[in-house]
Amino acid sequence: MTQALNLVLGGVFHAAALFLVAAGLQLVFGVQKILNLACGSFYALGAYTGIAAVNAALAAGVPAPLFLPVLVASGLALGVLGPPLERLLRTIYDRDEAFQLLLTFALVLMLEDVIRFVWGAAPYQMAGVYLTYGQVRLGTATVPVYNFIVIAAGLAIAAGMGLLLTRSRFGGIVRAAAENRGMAQALGVDMGRISTRVFTLGLVLGTVGGALVIPAGAAVNEMGIELIVEAFAVVVIGGLGSMRGAFVGALVVGVLKAVAIAVYPEAEMLAVYLIVIAVLLFRPTGLFARATA
Amino acid sequence: MTPLLEARDVVKRYGDVQALSGVTMALRGGEFVSIIGPNGAGKTTLVNVLTGLLRPTSGRVVFKGRDVAGVGPVRLAALGMARSFQLVNVFPALTVAETLAVPALARLGRGARPFASLARDAEVADSVAEVAELFGLAEKLPRLARTLPQGDKKLLDVASAFALRPEVILMDEPTSGVSTRDKTAIMETLVQAARRIGVKGIIQVEHDMDIVFAYSDRIVALHQGRVLADATPDAIRADDEVVATVLGRPR
Amino acid sequence: MTGRLAPAAAVTAAAAVPLLGRDYYATLMLPFFGYSIALLGLNLLFGTTGLLSFGHALFLAVGGYTAAYLGSTLGVRSLEAMLAVALVVAAVIAVPVGWLCVRYVKIYFGMLTLAFGMLFYSFLYKFYALTGGDEGMPVARPSLLGQGFGELDKTAYLIGPYYYYSLALCLVAAVVMWRIVRSPLGLSLRAIRENADKAEYVGVRVRRYRFYAFVIAAVFGAAGGVLLVVPTGLAAPTLAYWTHSGNLVFMLLLGGFGHFFGPVVGAFVFIFLQDQVMSVTQYWRFVFGAVLAAVVIFLPHGLMGLLARRADA
Repeated sequence: MTQALNLVLGGVFHAAALFLVAAGLQLVFGVQKILNLACGSFYALGAYTGIAAVNAALAAGVPAPLFLPVLVASGLALGVLGPPLERLLRTIYDRDEAFQLLLTFALVLMLEDVIRFVWGAAPYQMAGVYLTYGQVRLGTATVPVYNFIVIAAGLAIAAGMGLLLTRSRFGGIVRAAAENRGMAQALGVDMGRISTRVFTLGLVLGTVGGALVIPAGAAVNEMGIELIVEAFAVVVIGGLGSMRGAFVGALVVGVLKAVAIAVYPEAEMLAVYLIVIAVLLFRPTGLFARATA
Repeated sequence: MTPLLEARDVVKRYGDVQALSGVTMALRGGEFVSIIGPNGAGKTTLVNVLTGLLRPTSGRVVFKGRDVAGVGPVRLAALGMARSFQLVNVFPALTVAETLAVPALARLGRGARPFASLARDAEVADSVAEVAELFGLAEKLPRLARTLPQGDKKLLDVASAFALRPEVILMDEPTSGVSTRDKTAIMETLVQAARRIGVKGIIQVEHDMDIVFAYSDRIVALHQGRVLADATPDAIRADDEVVATVLGRPR
Repeated sequence: MTGRLAPAAAVTAAAAVPLLGRDYYATLMLPFFGYSIALLGLNLLFGTTGLLSFGHALFLAVGGYTAAYLGSTLGVRSLEAMLAVALVVAAVIAVPVGWLCVRYVKIYFGMLTLAFGMLFYSFLYKFYALTGGDEGMPVARPSLLGQGFGELDKTAYLIGPYYYYSLALCLVAAVVMWRIVRSPLGLSLRAIRENADKAEYVGVRVRRYRFYAFVIAAVFGAAGGVLLVVPTGLAAPTLAYWTHSGNLVFMLLLGGFGHFFGPVVGAFVFIFLQDQVMSVTQYWRFVFGAVLAAVVIFLPHGLMGLLARRADA
């Protein structure tokens, strides 16, 4: 029983990061109507930068328990990349979707080599701070407290995003721009500024997601391009453009993967793809699709 | 004489909104029927139901004796009904000739042949030449559709519907976006083409009352999803209620 | 325009390459032939019909693994048999996949095809016993038109008979695709790309014809895949990875999608540019990413688009 719980918790831990990346994907798609293939690359960048920042901080004498704030800060700091990258994507806003997808693919290629250039091709590991906050016994299994912190953080960010989108002025503008770009512009919304902010927010969600989850493992070159497929699965299951969908979809994919690995390792991603295909067959717009997506 | 196309007691509901409330009308062979009514009266909904795009909530749509509710545009084209739209719809990167060849191929059942030579298909070429000539586009066959002036694009759009050699054509505001001077010219072209191609019945949705009264055999006036009147132009002109709701001031 | 002249000159040049004594460049041409055929198929799907697939590599992998399985496991050495079976297998797989995928357009189509490609990749990677897992499956040297060429060493075989066989196959594929593009189906597909709704209204069976395009593209992809794995002697799961599909689209964009010779030009430039860049730096992906970005922003109609504009001017 506790093994099952342990399994599910592992899945939810992964789902937290997946949710963050998918949320970023949904935001950017909602406002800019671009499906950002590079979201996985942001995740990878967040992971690598996080490790570098934490290792550097620890070497500089920062006490171990503070590694989490350092980690999150490094993810947030990558937000500086938002404006210039958004500027690049802006050049093809009005073009056919194919071009937009291809430009983000170009980013994937470039970021892959940037990571390889800075950090090399070998797996990159954070100093052993994963268990700094201790562990919790669940029957026969032990779960690091860190995992719970990340899950809590994921929930908090999800709630925060929900509030941001429904209660704040920025959120209102974002939702209006997603519904009807032309109308928002006509009403005086500065689409350029909004686009930059939304893109940066999406980027940061991805980088923080990668940073938060990496203490549990090592960063490898392929992590970005591997994640993209899972992120797509989340978005298809949850519905393009929907935050709630990202949340539910991430949970489904995260837990399903964890269960599949335990039961039948060969079928790890196959189980996810089968759900994707099933959703597409019976509920093609996803579970929470927006009418205007 | 049995009607070519008819709507029997058609109701269309969208959630709480009732777009059509029991519309019954018929098109007989040789007739030119105009559907008129203020905005929101349900004209476009009615046309969408008649052309198999929308399934009525209740009621029947019968074309040549067959039930065609919600059948879809491709099937309907095969059965002999075509339609044109208010907003001009073209294939931007195809030439005029190619645009007219597509419906011809569909009509001849050859649209899916992967190894046949299109250039050497005489029947298609003849069809293209004939329709182009009827619509005054013969000189413009090699031009790309997106380079045509707006009026020609409109003609091309309607011509491609005619290229299906349909028995019935439904036109949604065929003269919209065209200057008054050109409207009559377009209508004359349309009616001539219909005659030459052998179209048996025409339904149009139209706002320009001069055109409506000049060409219609019958007028169906819609108001708030119901048929207000279904009669000859003279009878409609004499009907005060129609005149008030649809035409504005009494004449 | 140069019309017949340019392609004829290109074919002659290609035929001459092995005779010039530069073995290295001759071996580089081999993947070019494979990719050209695969891209002719992708061009029909994307350039002509307007459906952007991010999973076309799936069918290259199907072709590659079919050839590997036939040769190494079943001992069938005939390249003609490998090609024939690969085409059939590709068509069989393309039917359900295509039927499902063409119900969606644009982004959903792209995502779905990407997912199917990765599904196949997972299958190839995980089912070690059947597919050799990440080590891949070896590809035995096939016989060409019944001739084994056993007396030739590997290089002599590859830049000799295999080279000309590939060139010939590429020509055949091009002629077949030329017919298809110029056929009624080709025009119907272009109409679908231009305005799918209007196409329906003039009687075109949009979903069905998109499906045909998908299956045809799959078959061409598999043929290309067979040619790709023979020189390396290995069919690996990475053939099906989504970034490989992405590179295929890249090549097509580079050459100019929608233009008939776009695929060939794109494959050629990509392969030779990659070779040049890789000899200078290991960070070729960065360079290529920048090239792709530049092409997308400044040269959306690709190299053929550039040439066509020059010709019209």
